[in-house]
Amino acid sequence: MAKHNQVRRKLPWKSQVRITSRTIIGSLALLIVAGLYLAVNGRVARAGRDVLVLQNDRAEFQRQIAELTSTLAELTTPQHMLERALELGYQPAGMGDMLYINIDGYVAPEMFEAPLPPSSTSDHASSLSPAYTETLGEWLIRVVRPRGGGVQ
Amino acid sequence: MIPNSLPYRRVRVLLAFMVVIATAMLIQLIRVQFGPYAPVFATWVEAANEIDNEVVPERGLIYDRDGDLLATNVPTYYLEIEVFQLTPTSRKQIAAVLSRALILPYEDLYAQLMADWGSIGQFRIRLTRQVGVDERWPITIDQVASDMLKGFLLDPEAPDLSGLKMVPAPRREYPAGRLAGHLLGFVNQEGKGFFGLEGFYDSWLAGKPITIERGYIPPEARLEPDPPAGVNLVLTIDLDIQQMVEDILRKVLEDSSAESGQIIVMDPKTGEILALAIQPSLDPNNYEPWLETQGVEADKVSETEELVINPAVGGQFEPGSTFKVLTMAAAIDAGVVTPEDEYLDTGVIEVGGVRIRNWNGGAWGPQTMIGCMQHSLNVCLAYVASERLGAPLFYKYLEAFGIGRGTGIDVAGEVPGQLRTPRHPEWTEADLGTNAFGQGVSVTPVQLLAAVGAIANQGVMLQPHVVRAVVGPEGAYYPKPTVLGRPISAETAEVMTSMLSQSLDGETTLAHVNGYELAGKTGTAQIPTERGYDDRWTIASFVGWGPVVDPQFIVLVRIDKPESSPWGSVVAAPVFRDVVERLVAMLEIPPDHVRDQLAAARTEEQQ
Repeated sequence: MAKHNQVRRKLPWKSQVRITSRTIIGSLALLIVAGLYLAVNGRVARAGRDVLVLQNDRAEFQRQIAELTSTLAELTTPQHMLERALELGYQPAGMGDMLYINIDGYVAPEMFEAPLPPSSTSDHASSLSPAYTETLGEWLIRVVRPRGGGVQ
Repeated sequence: MIPNSLPYRRVRVLLAFMVVIATAMLIQLIRVQFGPYAPVFATWVEAANEIDNEVVPERGLIYDRDGDLLATNVPTYYLEIEVFQLTPTSRKQIAAVLSRALILPYEDLYAQLMADWGSIGQFRIRLTRQVGVDERWPITIDQVASDMLKGFLLDPEAPDLSGLKMVPAPRREYPAGRLAGHLLGFVNQEGKGFFGLEGFYDSWLAGKPITIERGYIPPEARLEPDPPAGVNLVLTIDLDIQQMVEDILRKVLEDSSAESGQIIVMDPKTGEILALAIQPSLDPNNYEPWLETQGVEADKVSETEELVINPAVGGQFEPGSTFKVLTMAAAIDAGVVTPEDEYLDTGVIEVGGVRIRNWNGGAWGPQTMIGCMQHSLNVCLAYVASERLGAPLFYKYLEAFGIGRGTGIDVAGEVPGQLRTPRHPEWTEADLGTNAFGQGVSVTPVQLLAAVGAIANQGVMLQPHVVRAVVGPEGAYYPKPTVLGRPISAETAEVMTSMLSQSLDGETTLAHVNGYELAGKTGTAQIPTERGYDDRWTIASFVGWGPVVDPQFIVLVRIDKPESSPWGSVVAAPVFRDVVERLVAMLEIPPDHVRDQLAAARTEEQQ
């Protein structure tokens, strides 16, 4: 024992190297875990941001569609069409101008069918893959126990 | 004891540095948690974390029968302010930009931006504008203004609008403007539908809002679920016919200087309302002025809904001579008279102690029942009701025609009208005589149309309706015609149609349409007041249908208080003619002689 202490005093760099190397190994391990965590979170954040952007885009497109639909409807109202026809030199036909002609094979226009409104989507159907939401711990558990559930 | 060598001194310095850093972080944490800006941070945290958020689905669209859009949703935006993001410059420049772009008073906007909202715990406010003495409404901007402001927010050279946010708020828009305004109703700023179809189908159109947990930071983002959307409605209304009818109604009101009027066009075989025009019109895009004319404040519309009347379903009136159609139909169906039966008109009859006279006070001598209808003789009809039918039978038929009972039309605000029967404590024998020619009984235009529609439809009375299809996410539902009753037999209906076709020829030529045989009856009704009947004003009306061999339409015209002439035969009958002249072309109805030729050709082919 006394001999060991004597060696340490004579060679202090040995214990310093040992402490330093252990610290570096520990730090490296921490850095690896932190890096992994950061990488996963970075992907999650990027995917989340993509989701937010896409949702905003969808909302914006829906607003644009609504605006254009309304404009189109205004341009095709009977009053607007009548004004356009008058500008082009047409006149409304009176009873004396009209002649009923029976045309064989004429088929009246089909009944209008309105578009279906968008259907509801549930939370379950629209949930994200766990790959984007799970914690590192949850991921480890999933890897260790693969039967517990896979990534969608 | 720690040696005082160089490496250990370095370690101590490093430790001290880390302690300083940790202390600083601790102080900052305490400041965030309890400092003066703690509420701001709390708001940020609340916004960043998942919070419950109500998602309102898009309101269902309304189409006419050919797919023309009648009601849609357009994007508008509320202007909101993130109070703690405001700077002295942005306060001035937001007020200046909005004042110039939206033509709003700068001082009012600036005062809102300068108020100490934080002291009352508000960190996000919605800018408002003054609309009355004590009333403020949120400012809304359209897509164009929104795009301009977004451009400013992104451009570093543009005015500083820090703190200004634009929050989407869909607004109901009616592309056809005033067209069918009363029928459609409107949607207020809170998204609730009132009157007309918007009121009647409000819960269906609005859909079901859902509450979701919404994350605002990227890792918490989710695909948001869509709430169950409101249904789309396809109406029975034909927008081209509606436009034509409204144009004609507007013109007749101008020409006759009348106060108001309605024209309703219905398919008697299905009960589908093809057009429902009401003047003065309601602009659902700008309903506040109309509400003012009705004496209702815009923010109190929900409390006073019953005070505002849709004249077609809620505007009851004493129908006058058009009601004689029902009296005569009842008498013929009961077998107490035939069209050829004669009656000696002396110009006066006493029923229940009340002397009833004809519209011109004259005596018309011997008349057949057709003549009674042709000359619209009050005395003759009072005789038929009181001496041939009798009260029990007469009122049984009126109830079968749905008088005194709502039709159940799918438009908000329908009233049942008023009919006093012998069961009523105030009923007198005189009522029988006056009811026979449409006095002392009140109906709505839709109610009268449905009742007379039974005669045009072989005795089957159908429920008037304006929705042809209800389209939900799972598919479309087509309501079938609802039979309200069979007040008279098919034979009676045929006899009545023939009778009214003949009587119309003699009553007025102003309702004739070349090439088509039509049936109908004019009406000139006095207006009851608290001091008896008004001696100046009348309600001129006409109800008619055609072609008599195969009725495709029934039209009711009602003109209130015309100045040019009080008579239905002068004011309302030409309106019927104008409508039918256009209607036969729009509905592609062949003239009678062409119809006969086509029928003959088909018969030959079959042989």
